[in-house]
Amino acid sequence: MGNYFSFERFIYVFPKIISNVSVNFHIVFWSMLLGTILAVFVAVLRLKRIPVIGQILGVYISFMRGTPLLVQMMIAFYGIPIVFGSLFMNAFGINLNRIEPVIFVEIAIILNEGAFLGEIFRGAITSVPYIQTEAGYSIGMTGAQTFTRIVLPQAFKVAIPHYGVDLVGVFQNTSLVFTLGVVDILGKAKTLGAATGHTLEGYVAATVIYITFSLLLKGAFILIEKKLAD
Amino acid sequence: MSFGISNFLDSLKSAFLYAPVTLKLTFITFVISLILGTIVATVRYYKIPVLSQFFSVFVTVYMGLPTMVALILYNLIFMTFYNDVAKALNINIPITDINPIIIGYFTLILGTTCSISESVRGAFRGISKIQYEAGYSIGLSKVKTLTRIIYPQMVPILLPGLQNSLIGLLKASNLVSAIAVVEIMTGALLPSLLYYSYLEGYVAAALVYWLIGAFIELLAYFAEKNSGKYLKKGTV
Repeated sequence: MGNYFSFERFIYVFPKIISNVSVNFHIVFWSMLLGTILAVFVAVLRLKRIPVIGQILGVYISFMRGTPLLVQMMIAFYGIPIVFGSLFMNAFGINLNRIEPVIFVEIAIILNEGAFLGEIFRGAITSVPYIQTEAGYSIGMTGAQTFTRIVLPQAFKVAIPHYGVDLVGVFQNTSLVFTLGVVDILGKAKTLGAATGHTLEGYVAATVIYITFSLLLKGAFILIEKKLAD
Repeated sequence: MSFGISNFLDSLKSAFLYAPVTLKLTFITFVISLILGTIVATVRYYKIPVLSQFFSVFVTVYMGLPTMVALILYNLIFMTFYNDVAKALNINIPITDINPIIIGYFTLILGTTCSISESVRGAFRGISKIQYEAGYSIGLSKVKTLTRIIYPQMVPILLPGLQNSLIGLLKASNLVSAIAVVEIMTGALLPSLLYYSYLEGYVAAALVYWLIGAFIELLAYFAEKNSGKYLKKGTV
């Protein structure tokens, strides 16, 4: 295969591509942070069974679970400027057509994670026995205190393995963002390929990077799980 | 730019027209992956030397690879090496006549096989040893014990995981649009390309995906209800 794949070129492009992994982690960090907060609200509101909001959240979760992330990203990318464009232009003077596509990607992943993590958290919260809540009430805690101090920490322990799988999933989903023109690992591999005429090395480098970081993240969560189990 | 209802309806029509491509891609891949995944999981469960080690390393590493990256990589490898391989094997079909959906099938089958094999492996743990002994005691061979006793009992344990795999696959099948296969999303965009307004196309695509996803969920709900029947009879 000599002509198609050369190891020197691979060594040459690898550092250039891996430097863009920060873009992927930037997306993972913000989407997971805000997605987790959104998910806690989604889970709590669904558990409270508030009439109209419960149904709306049901539709929201079904939509997020039933449609591909790529389509959701595209809808965020094209839809948000159309729906909120004039509002943001008048209120804040921000032209939504000009802001970076990575923002829309993050909004799409945050909304997506709100649904997926919401379901994970809901399962985790229901797994905490009701006696625990009663214990909180018996020593005079309010509802909110019982939830944040007693139920949530225990639910957290149950949710951690699923949370880890989900986080690795989000990291892998960042491979879609290059379709919107965000220069992440894959985007960089593509541009380098276009510039040098040798695409294969770049994509192989991206493959290696994705596999390595996925396994590292997975390993980290297994360690956290073990720590929590003690 | 604004949202045009007539454009949206055009896109919806076009998306439905291409729905069979996605459905075929999803279900054929699912059936093949289910068979292959069961074989891989069985090999790993019985710890068949060499093969089981190979599969365990392969599945672990491969699960770290996003479908999109795999798809683009295989597509590129296929594009680069097809001519040489075809010449060596005396195949006279030019590369332009080959439908890129083959690469889509290959990528999706490989990825889904890995994830399904993990669920099947989990299901093996849910079956007690007595069941194997039961098969052995009435003189069934190992293969017959598996096909007649073990696998049928795994179905109710597997169903929730398989439902997730199927919906995941439906969504992953969307990625083949990256290698120039026309499926629901790209199909929905065809009318949009005429009008230069893409939102309608994407919303139409989302709607069609959502419908199919809801249908799968409904199917899984009834399957789960029916498959658990014997368990209730057994325990009460």
